[in-house]
Amino acid sequence: MLELNQETFQDFIKGETPALVDFWAPWCMPCRIFAPVLEDLSDELDGKVEFGKVNIDDNPDLASQYGITTIPTIILFQQGKPVTQMIGVHSREKVLSTITSHL
Amino acid sequence: MNRYDCIIVGSGPAGLEAAVNLSIRGKNFLLFGNENLSIKLETAPRIDNYLGFPGISGRELQRRYREHLASMNIPLRTEQVNLVYPMGDYFSVATNKNTYQASTIILATGTSPAKLLPGEERLLGRGVGYCATCDAPLYRNKTVAVVGWSNEAALEANFVAELAKKVYYLPVRKFSQTLRDNIQLITSPPVEILGEHQVEALRTKTETIPVDGVFLLRDSIAPSALVPGIQVENGYIVVDADMQTNLPGCFAAGDCTGKPHQLMRAAGQGQTAALAVTRYLDRKASEQ
Repeated sequence: MLELNQETFQDFIKGETPALVDFWAPWCMPCRIFAPVLEDLSDELDGKVEFGKVNIDDNPDLASQYGITTIPTIILFQQGKPVTQMIGVHSREKVLSTITSHL
Repeated sequence: MNRYDCIIVGSGPAGLEAAVNLSIRGKNFLLFGNENLSIKLETAPRIDNYLGFPGISGRELQRRYREHLASMNIPLRTEQVNLVYPMGDYFSVATNKNTYQASTIILATGTSPAKLLPGEERLLGRGVGYCATCDAPLYRNKTVAVVGWSNEAALEANFVAELAKKVYYLPVRKFSQTLRDNIQLITSPPVEILGEHQVEALRTKTETIPVDGVFLLRDSIAPSALVPGIQVENGYIVVDADMQTNLPGCFAAGDCTGKPHQLMRAAGQGQTAALAVTRYLDRKASEQ
């Protein structure tokens, strides 16, 4: 998963391929558990969805721009626009079905 | 990372009876729960249907439970469990302090939390949160309300107050912690969380307090939020006769599985779950 920052974020979400962004922080225990699940899905959806992550400690402006008040939060973008978001940790199947229903 | 045979979530009669049985079976397990073991037990003045102990008080039974644990050297961990996540052939467990791994889980979390506050569900993740230690850093220099159902909640309010500009603390039950200077105690009960796209205020019976966020710290998280993917019906975890849930290796016992909410039913289910866990572990071991 691509580590995103203020400079690279906009280009990433505006790409041709839908982009899923994981907002996380190193001190967030549930984020640590969720991360490998998203890594796994990024392999499964290779070529269909680009996966990236934003460390909200390093990028507080991105977090506030997207109104992140709970982490983990994942947002799916298409052509730069958020199409759906999931707050908290969900089962692998639920994340997969939510993403694919928007493709 | 050390992988435990089992992690028990909950310290009421179901969780404790499961712990006693896993200990007898020599399993390597962790027990997570509350300092008072069970608030329902602590507040029961008199119990008449606990076989062998007619008329016993909840506090006396609680004292005996503690002695029983101590006599078997079973430590109780008071970290709050925020997430139990199935990883395939094991489970990851996140508390407010650490992450753990276990081959099996016994959920003994008691009854589901009280009714949701109006606005809670709609604004979840938009200023409403359930884990102060997880999300407090997102409220640096902001104003936050913490509604606390347990004594530990006051500790969490103190943690939030280290980062936030101002904290309002609304205790639902009595607490014994000393609050930091930038925490204002509000005794009027919360009624509604207000805000269009983000939390804007918390309304109590007597006033409306403008806040950027509201943490609701109940004694137990709803099973569906605690364990993503678990099957729940009418707020209760669905189990079979072995206390097995729909997630292989994840068992549940006690009030979280349904009615009647009775001490002996809970203890019996805790025992059944522990024995089912040992069989499950033996089967896994023989498959390898």
